[in-house]
Amino acid sequence: MTSTKSGVTVESLGAKKAPRLSIIGFFMALPPLLLVVFFVGLPVLIAFTFSLGFTTGPNRVLSIIGQEIHKKDHWWGTFAAYKDVYHDPRFAGDMRTTIAITVISTTLVLLMALGIGIYQRMIGGRLASVMTALTLVPLFVPVVIAAWAIHTFYAGDGFMRTFFSQFGINFPTITSTVSAIAIGTIWTSLPFAILMVTSGLQSIPDALIETAQDAGAGFFRIIRTVLIPLAITPIVIAGTFTGIGILGSFTIPLFLGPNQPTMLGVEISNFFGAYNRPQQSIVMAFIVFASASGIALIYIWANVRSAKQSGRI
Amino acid sequence: MLKKKYASALVAATLVALSLGASLPTSQAATNTIQVYISGDTNVQDLWVSTLVPAFKASNPGYDVNVTLDLHGVHDAQETAKITAAFATRKDAGADLIDGGFVQQLGSAGLLYKATSALVPNLSTVGRAVVSIGKGGIPYRASAVLLAYNSTNVKTPPKTLDELLVWIKAHPGKFTYNVPSGGGSGFAFVQTVVDKYLTTADRNALVQGANKSLQTKWATGLETLRSLNAYTYGKNGTYPANNAETLKDLATGLVDMGSVWSDQFASATKAGTMPANIKVTQIANPQFTGGAAYLGIPRTSKNYKAAQVLANWVLSPEGQNLIVAGTMNGMPVIPVTMLDPKVAAGLTGVDVANLRPAYFSANGNDLKSAWALAVPGK
Repeated sequence: MTSTKSGVTVESLGAKKAPRLSIIGFFMALPPLLLVVFFVGLPVLIAFTFSLGFTTGPNRVLSIIGQEIHKKDHWWGTFAAYKDVYHDPRFAGDMRTTIAITVISTTLVLLMALGIGIYQRMIGGRLASVMTALTLVPLFVPVVIAAWAIHTFYAGDGFMRTFFSQFGINFPTITSTVSAIAIGTIWTSLPFAILMVTSGLQSIPDALIETAQDAGAGFFRIIRTVLIPLAITPIVIAGTFTGIGILGSFTIPLFLGPNQPTMLGVEISNFFGAYNRPQQSIVMAFIVFASASGIALIYIWANVRSAKQSGRI
Repeated sequence: MLKKKYASALVAATLVALSLGASLPTSQAATNTIQVYISGDTNVQDLWVSTLVPAFKASNPGYDVNVTLDLHGVHDAQETAKITAAFATRKDAGADLIDGGFVQQLGSAGLLYKATSALVPNLSTVGRAVVSIGKGGIPYRASAVLLAYNSTNVKTPPKTLDELLVWIKAHPGKFTYNVPSGGGSGFAFVQTVVDKYLTTADRNALVQGANKSLQTKWATGLETLRSLNAYTYGKNGTYPANNAETLKDLATGLVDMGSVWSDQFASATKAGTMPANIKVTQIANPQFTGGAAYLGIPRTSKNYKAAQVLANWVLSPEGQNLIVAGTMNGMPVIPVTMLDPKVAAGLTGVDVANLRPAYFSANGNDLKSAWALAVPGK
């Protein structure tokens, strides 16, 4: 009797719950959605119209204050600000630097993360655990502190030069060079990539690796045909996150890079603040945004692929 | 039942929130809290927070001061926009007294209560020329950019800009100035070099207002600056990011010469972070720029009467003594004879009336951009 009763109750509850739960779920999802729409989506849209020369309404004040403002001359706006940026000699150099740093740093970060991950997965032991733990330290150091630490380490009066001069060696000053930006971005991006890649490699069952060994596969063959293909989704995700992070970096290139050419993050800030050219800075921001969207496509591809493999779609 | 309880609780909470919201502004006005907005370096923050505000509150009971800092004036454009918008919509922009480089810009746009002796009685003791450059702002302290040099390595420092340029080329890697967009001391060097090739009339025009056509005359000066790339510190056309880095390079002996702010240098010397063998001097033909820092009382301020009291107190001998003797090491805008004789003795003898002013902000922004295009890494 009781069981029937409770069974009935449960059934009726379940039947009632389904639509109610979905309503609760909808309202739980609403705050972040509204936040994104009103505080990110809308400003992005307004900024886009400003870059096209719509200087009235919400863009009025900025267009009064800013210098080199172009007002629209067609119903759809004008590309004058885009032309300004395209013809600015700084832009090509900044774009090249940004892309080069992003590609080089992301590749090196992934290679290093794979190295640590494979070492821990294939050889393991206490040393591997200690090494992995050590590589995570930068995760707990704020970027601005890390940037200054690297600056004082490689500066003209820094540790490296002081140390080598004891032996009569003139170690080069690395600060204010593109190499320093690469060192900085790798240093700060590495921990997250290692976390993603090692956890991906750890989830590969021992049985698969042992079977491959029994079949006579060597160390590198196992890496190439078992480990990397099976962990490709977390590797791609680590790569896209690192890439997007480096693409938009500001603190590291500001402290460690040369004055010109610099990365677009710093140049956007220069144009917005020091040169007071908000329209041109927004144009550059959209170019960074478009590049990041390109990287995000790879991320979506990796997610879809993993969802297909696990049978979710 | 439960629902009712919740509903009544909600109503109560809303009422409390509403009454709080409604009562906040009135309570602020009643206690005379003055909102001071600073755009500048940390030394300006120190001046207000630990020197001026405590002394002002002690001699003016009943007033309270709340200081907001925008470090290095990164948000000058946004703050200007905010005050412009607040004025258009007749709202309070949340600042009663502004200390920053954009005060003159606000003044020329008619957004400030105009600085007159009627507004601030003590303004009558300040030189007229300094007041008129302010375009409505209230001058309250001054500083100049000077040439700092290592007296151990440099026995006779250059006396003119031409001598300085010769010295730089004769001592590769021993001079530096910071990126003009990163700090005023580097900007002063850049402006001084481009001014070398301009007539006095042209220089004045660029100080008075935006002038695109005159900017083309910067080309020769920028080419001179570009030719220094191989001789400045690093010898590769890279420059320190801000004022503090130039000071650090001088203190650690990386360079023997650099352009610095008089007040920041004096503070560093007092604090012991600048060795005693680093000295400062002014050059001539043309000299480095300098000038007064201005306060502005925006017309959007609801609390402008209290702001007037504070501004007037800052211009009193009591306030000026603190600016000169405190950690700021600034220069007074009132006659030195009005200061405490002990305080006046510490001044380096730079005449506030003869400072060479910096460009109007719009020209300044364009010079920063033009420098970045023509000089670094080229």
